[in-house]
Amino acid sequence: MRLHEYEALDIFEQVGIPVPRRGVAGAMHEALQVAGEIGYPVMLKAQVLVGGRGLAGGIKTASTPDELKEVAEGLLSSEIKGMPVRKILVCEKAEIAKELYVGITVDGYSGKPVIVVSTEGGVRIEETAKASPEKIASIHIEPSFGYYPYQARTLLRMLGLKQQLITSWTDVIGKLYNIALRYEALISEINPLVVLPNGGLLAVDAVLEVDDSALSRVRFALPDRVDRIENPLERRGREIGVTYVDLEGDIGLISSGAGLGMASMDIIGERMKPANFLETGGGITADLLYRCMELIMMKPDLRAVFINVYGGINPIHEGAKGVVRYIQEHNVKIPIVAKALGNRQEETWEIFRSAGVHVVTEAATEKAIDRLYELVGGN
Amino acid sequence: MSILIDDSTRVIVQGITGRIGSTQTHWMLEYGTKVVGGVTPGKGGSTVEGVPVFDSVKEAVQETGANASVFFVPAAFVLDAFLETIDAGVKLIVVVPEHIPVKDVVKMRSYANEKGVFALGPTTPGILVPGKGKMGIMPASLFAPGRVGIISRSGTLSYEFAGILSESNVGQSTVVGMGADPVVLRNLADILELFQEDEGTDGVIVVGEVGGEQEEKAAGFIARKMTKPVAAYIAGRHSPQGKRMGHAGAIVRGTTGTVDGKQEALRAAGVEVLQSPIHVAEWAKKHNLR
Repeated sequence: MRLHEYEALDIFEQVGIPVPRRGVAGAMHEALQVAGEIGYPVMLKAQVLVGGRGLAGGIKTASTPDELKEVAEGLLSSEIKGMPVRKILVCEKAEIAKELYVGITVDGYSGKPVIVVSTEGGVRIEETAKASPEKIASIHIEPSFGYYPYQARTLLRMLGLKQQLITSWTDVIGKLYNIALRYEALISEINPLVVLPNGGLLAVDAVLEVDDSALSRVRFALPDRVDRIENPLERRGREIGVTYVDLEGDIGLISSGAGLGMASMDIIGERMKPANFLETGGGITADLLYRCMELIMMKPDLRAVFINVYGGINPIHEGAKGVVRYIQEHNVKIPIVAKALGNRQEETWEIFRSAGVHVVTEAATEKAIDRLYELVGGN
Repeated sequence: MSILIDDSTRVIVQGITGRIGSTQTHWMLEYGTKVVGGVTPGKGGSTVEGVPVFDSVKEAVQETGANASVFFVPAAFVLDAFLETIDAGVKLIVVVPEHIPVKDVVKMRSYANEKGVFALGPTTPGILVPGKGKMGIMPASLFAPGRVGIISRSGTLSYEFAGILSESNVGQSTVVGMGADPVVLRNLADILELFQEDEGTDGVIVVGEVGGEQEEKAAGFIARKMTKPVAAYIAGRHSPQGKRMGHAGAIVRGTTGTVDGKQEALRAAGVEVLQSPIHVAEWAKKHNLR
């Protein structure tokens, strides 16, 4: 789960990382009030959970109340990469001597936490990493050994920095590492970490993404339980315990695994357009698939439904009962194609067929999509 | 011949008394797997599907001579059970459950490496050797004995590829699910190495997906070490791009784990990149694999 910048800044502040004076505003008069307290000029930052926000026009400055009115109004009525801006962060505009970068993540390949630093922080950090790798330094932390400050000092010395900056930056890294541990963060990042003209540091941005699988352990420490999923269908998916992604097409999809779901989308996408991605994981029951049908059918213009499930850990015969119950209760008219293989497959096919579902018994999803295409054609 | 599971493999099931654990024990036994015991703390002395249940892994190993373990333990208890299993001397562990916190997986992987334990998962369907046995949840009906190895990041896609091959009369030597999590207990290249060394395997299929860098790293291994033909499919071309935040991952990797990037790396290593799963049948035919 990704926290908003203003939430992450609060957490960073609690552990003693220097952060700007700031306030959150959901309306223009609130923005004016915050700016009045902080003093102009101020930065106005759209609070949306997307990367590349700055380059997409989500970060502005205002030097006067009039300018703030115009900018705040613009931001609060805009969308950034499709996400509506509901709140803006108003914060002091720091004088920047230099912009640094520090990020902590888990390196999937080595299976270890990794601390990444750069003296070239800012919105173009990824390009810097490619063009000038010597400006980036990183260190993996041995899980059985843990993090110690000398590791950060060593890392920063590699960048050729002066001791004063090494000392203050090491302090920030240690605090950030503690946050990463405590909040079970997949990403904790400050970009930029600003060096002020007086040599002090200021975390001007804050990224914190908590491991969803650890939420039950870290929820106590999180700021609130506001709903972070904007799309109502995606929110409903989360409620019933499946991964649902809303898409623009008109072929509904239910799959029993993420890989199978992605491959199904790829194959559908060759000739038609999927309306959604839906992956059940290993928890199929009759009720769950009934609710999945309910969910995907919320999109009004579906032309067909494709169900692609395997009976490994999942009782697919139970799942089929849920689908059939939905079809019968709602008198579904659009074609439904199902490929269901594995444990108790014959029983599953019979249940599907009893409600007029087109059952495909070959393993290749391509064959099932051929059948679907025959039934509804391209568009 | 096969990798990881052979005639000497004696399996215990952890979490055997749970709904999934007991059901899957039934299927594993029916497939001919030597399931010699189960572990659920507090349920020792009972039996499931005729298999004795023990309170501790150590006891199970002592009483049954088990050398492998498959997990159906609730996610919150996996780390604890995993460390216990390693300390009991088990050398092959398959972690089926999903939603295990990354922080736990990092510890599990570190301890497994330290103790020389081969572990797969989390979120893996496990290992299946057609006609011989299986550790995990793979549905038997899709597999047939033969000489093609499959490694898949996705569970369901491992079934799909095996099913397509079996329908084309191409069998499999071993099918391995490596797990779908951001951090897994064993990397792709480690499993490829086993297939390269296995006398019963003539060709290998890698089933990958968008994200991470397993396929890119494996490409380096394939170029240096693999002499057997390798085909690969990468799922996720039409997947919506996640609303990615933060740069640390991309900076560390230098790539963002795109389908194109993975395909390019694999192709450069001499791998035949399949645009759609069904093409795997033609690839097998071309290389005379059966």
